[in-house]
Amino acid sequence: MLDAFEILTTSGIVLWRKHYAPIAPSIVDGLIRDVFIEEKQSPSNEQYRKERYTLKWSLAKDVGLVFVAVYQSLLHLSWVDNLLTAVKALFVKEYGSEVKTGRTTKLHTSRWDATFDALVTKLDTGNEPPPPPVFASQPKRPAIPRKEQVVMDDTTSADATPIPTPDTSRPATPHLLTAKGGPGGKTSRRARKAQNFATSAPASSGDESAAGKASKVKSTAKAKRRWDVDGGAIDDYGDDATLDYSASTSDAVNGDDHDNDIADVSASQMGSRTGKGQFVLKDLDDEVDAILASSRSQKSQSSDPDPSSTGGGGLLGTATSRLTGLFRNALGGATLTKSSLQQPLAAMRNHLLEKNVAREAADRLCASVETDLLNQKTASFTSIDKTIRESMEKALTRILTPTSSLDLLRDVTTTTTGPSARPYVISIVGVNGVGKSTNLSKIAYFLLQNHFRVLIVAGDTFRSGAVEQLRVHVRNLSELARREAVGRVELFEKGYGKDAASVAKEAVSYASNNTGKGGGEMLYDVVLIDTAGRRHNDTRLMSSLTKFGQLANPDKIFMVGEALVGSDSVAQARNFAKEFVDTKGNLRNNGVGMDGFIISKCDTVGDMVGTLVSMVHATGIPVVFLGVGQHYGDLRGLNVGWAVERLMR
Amino acid sequence: MASSSTAKDWLTWAFSPAISAIFATLLISLTLPLLIHFYLYRKAVAKELPTFLLIGPSGAGKTTLLTLFANGSPSPTHTSQEPQSAVCQLPSSARSSEDRYRSENDTSAQAQPKLALLDTPGHGKLRHHATSSLTTGSSLKGLIFVVDSAAVSSAAGLTEAAEYLHDVLLLLQKRHTQSKTSKDPQAIPVLVAANKQDVFTSLPAGLVRTKLEEEIAKVRRTRSKGLLDSGIGMDEGAGGDEETNWLGEYGTTDFKFSQMGEHGVEVSVRGGNAKGDGGESGKVNQWWEWVGGNI
Repeated sequence: MLDAFEILTTSGIVLWRKHYAPIAPSIVDGLIRDVFIEEKQSPSNEQYRKERYTLKWSLAKDVGLVFVAVYQSLLHLSWVDNLLTAVKALFVKEYGSEVKTGRTTKLHTSRWDATFDALVTKLDTGNEPPPPPVFASQPKRPAIPRKEQVVMDDTTSADATPIPTPDTSRPATPHLLTAKGGPGGKTSRRARKAQNFATSAPASSGDESAAGKASKVKSTAKAKRRWDVDGGAIDDYGDDATLDYSASTSDAVNGDDHDNDIADVSASQMGSRTGKGQFVLKDLDDEVDAILASSRSQKSQSSDPDPSSTGGGGLLGTATSRLTGLFRNALGGATLTKSSLQQPLAAMRNHLLEKNVAREAADRLCASVETDLLNQKTASFTSIDKTIRESMEKALTRILTPTSSLDLLRDVTTTTTGPSARPYVISIVGVNGVGKSTNLSKIAYFLLQNHFRVLIVAGDTFRSGAVEQLRVHVRNLSELARREAVGRVELFEKGYGKDAASVAKEAVSYASNNTGKGGGEMLYDVVLIDTAGRRHNDTRLMSSLTKFGQLANPDKIFMVGEALVGSDSVAQARNFAKEFVDTKGNLRNNGVGMDGFIISKCDTVGDMVGTLVSMVHATGIPVVFLGVGQHYGDLRGLNVGWAVERLMR
Repeated sequence: MASSSTAKDWLTWAFSPAISAIFATLLISLTLPLLIHFYLYRKAVAKELPTFLLIGPSGAGKTTLLTLFANGSPSPTHTSQEPQSAVCQLPSSARSSEDRYRSENDTSAQAQPKLALLDTPGHGKLRHHATSSLTTGSSLKGLIFVVDSAAVSSAAGLTEAAEYLHDVLLLLQKRHTQSKTSKDPQAIPVLVAANKQDVFTSLPAGLVRTKLEEEIAKVRRTRSKGLLDSGIGMDEGAGGDEETNWLGEYGTTDFKFSQMGEHGVEVSVRGGNAKGDGGESGKVNQWWEWVGGNI
């Protein structure tokens, strides 16, 4: 069963919702955060799982609405897709104009309850695989299609509801009767007749005996409307009433119930609404069928290699459309279609590729721009190109901006002070020759300037000269530190050939100085661990990182990536991130693996800083530092505005 | 041929020194500017409503507050992705600053002023919406920084709120110190709305204030020591010397909201809760009062 259905605006206001079971708001919040804002999921994945729920959604971008259906992951409710499509189309049709005005803080959606229930009734085909429907316990009438059986559980509640007064029930009856036309249309004529008898029974049951006059009026009204549905029904009308009420068709009662709701609501609303407030269930059925059919055909079309849709019209037609298109482009107000977006987007994609953005990331950015702009109108005096540029800038800003702030100094300060003080451990990983040791020294210099005591650990026990290289760095740094009278730095090394993970562990316990004498003064504030460079597709070397991550348990793991690297950056970032799992098999740092990237050699690429985007795109891990030169001081934080400006230049 | 000859006749008349032609020309030349004026006047946007900006970390209750102010009752909400504006009217319980000198006993029709409220997403990746509307909004009358008083008691929540508030205040300070004209830009007061006072674990407004001040002092210290930005040299605004990036009184160890007064930013902290028991509207009178006083 469906657990909840919510309709909300992109600004976060819930316009309408129905909860069949209590659901924490954090479920839907998680969907918005992970899928829409942080885009952690690939866009092709159409469902989102959180805790024990599966969420499916549908977006109406032009009016800024999100439709979310929530159900338990154990169930397989494939009809939810149809429900979403139908609800989206109907809701947008009904309220779209109101929503578009922007006054969406309050929308009177009480009328929607009935429509939604009717939709669920129509579309609910239950849980497909084995589990037998619990609610199909009532005796079946053979003539009624299965579709209607499913909703039996409503019957009891519908029966229990007080029978409405003739005044309100009468306008509702036609809808009720015509409603049978939809699903019943496919069954045999006889079956349909039988159905009709059954349906009219509960509706007229009310106060027939009590108020003879009222029932007479009612019966004539009914007979008249009967003609609309199917001829000949009027002759049988008298027999109808004698049919036993207990075997009532649930759907009819259901529909009756809903229609009464509507009548009540529309009556209570402000007069002019009334006409619109009533709707015909038959129309609804037809409409839903049409919507679903069109969405299905759209899907099959999109799977085909789209045959050029601009075929018709002839030469003259295309010429005029192109001319008006040109004007529109200059003056603004052009509606952006897939075809009008195609060319400028391809140009934008090439531009990004030239900036060294990996193809995958460029495709994704362009796709997000396309969904952002599709069916939108350009602002006045804005060309399509400019609109795309603005949208792309927004997308780039969003992808590069970190979710939470990255204040390394504060993290270090809070960890190394207070009652549970311990050394702050940072380790640095990366491919060979990207500048791990250099950037490590730069970070050490930065920390020294802030009066921290730093221990540098030679975790590269593999490459010849790695330890010596670090020793030179440490000598230089301690000389600098001595001159400026700031912090203190030392090298921790165990020579070559030893296991990096155990060296790191020893180093951490040495820095915290809690071994041996049992809790002395902490010797160092920050432990910086250098690691051996490794090729990201060498599984033997990469797997040792997992052990390293678990043994040394660093507070931060930074990966160094070259700005020069190009499209390989995506694979590098992914392969490194996936190695850092904790003992339970979960990725560190809320499932992303690492804590940040250091992009080195940024001074060598000029404007082509696309690697930043590629790496963040691949993993969702933010860029923490940029290496911008050869000196110890040439380490910078990332300014998102700067990077976006360079990329769009 | 007939049409061309009539056109010719008409033109001849229009350029002839006939008295009717002169009058017609005069009439057109006098009324046309008036018509254009009225046309443009109609089209031009009516006077912009005084705008208040809702900012704050995600989950603090900004959108709930927006719906409460706009509709009188809070709606259920989720994380925002887009900004949302709404027109609200000051309730009769709050007095606007225009009514300062009105007597309590004045029963003459009292039109409560309207105001526009702009809600912004609080998620870390979407804060550029808030900062851009902060720098561009011309009729901005005030900022409402919504804080979850319960989340402030945890270290992570406090840090997030303080960092965001620090950035916003620094932006306001820079707006003041780096204005090109000698005339001060219009002061934008800030209300720190300590929301969710009804939650059991929430801190009272006074404590929220001191906690935020302490935390901002820490943020300020580490920011000044932190690494330089990669955007240096892009424009003079991004880099700047240390003093321009220091919030409040330069060189002080403690941060107090009162230090912002020097830069034309008045910060007040008031408690309340947007959501009451069972979806009812909570206590927001203090916030309405502040809005009324700054409208």
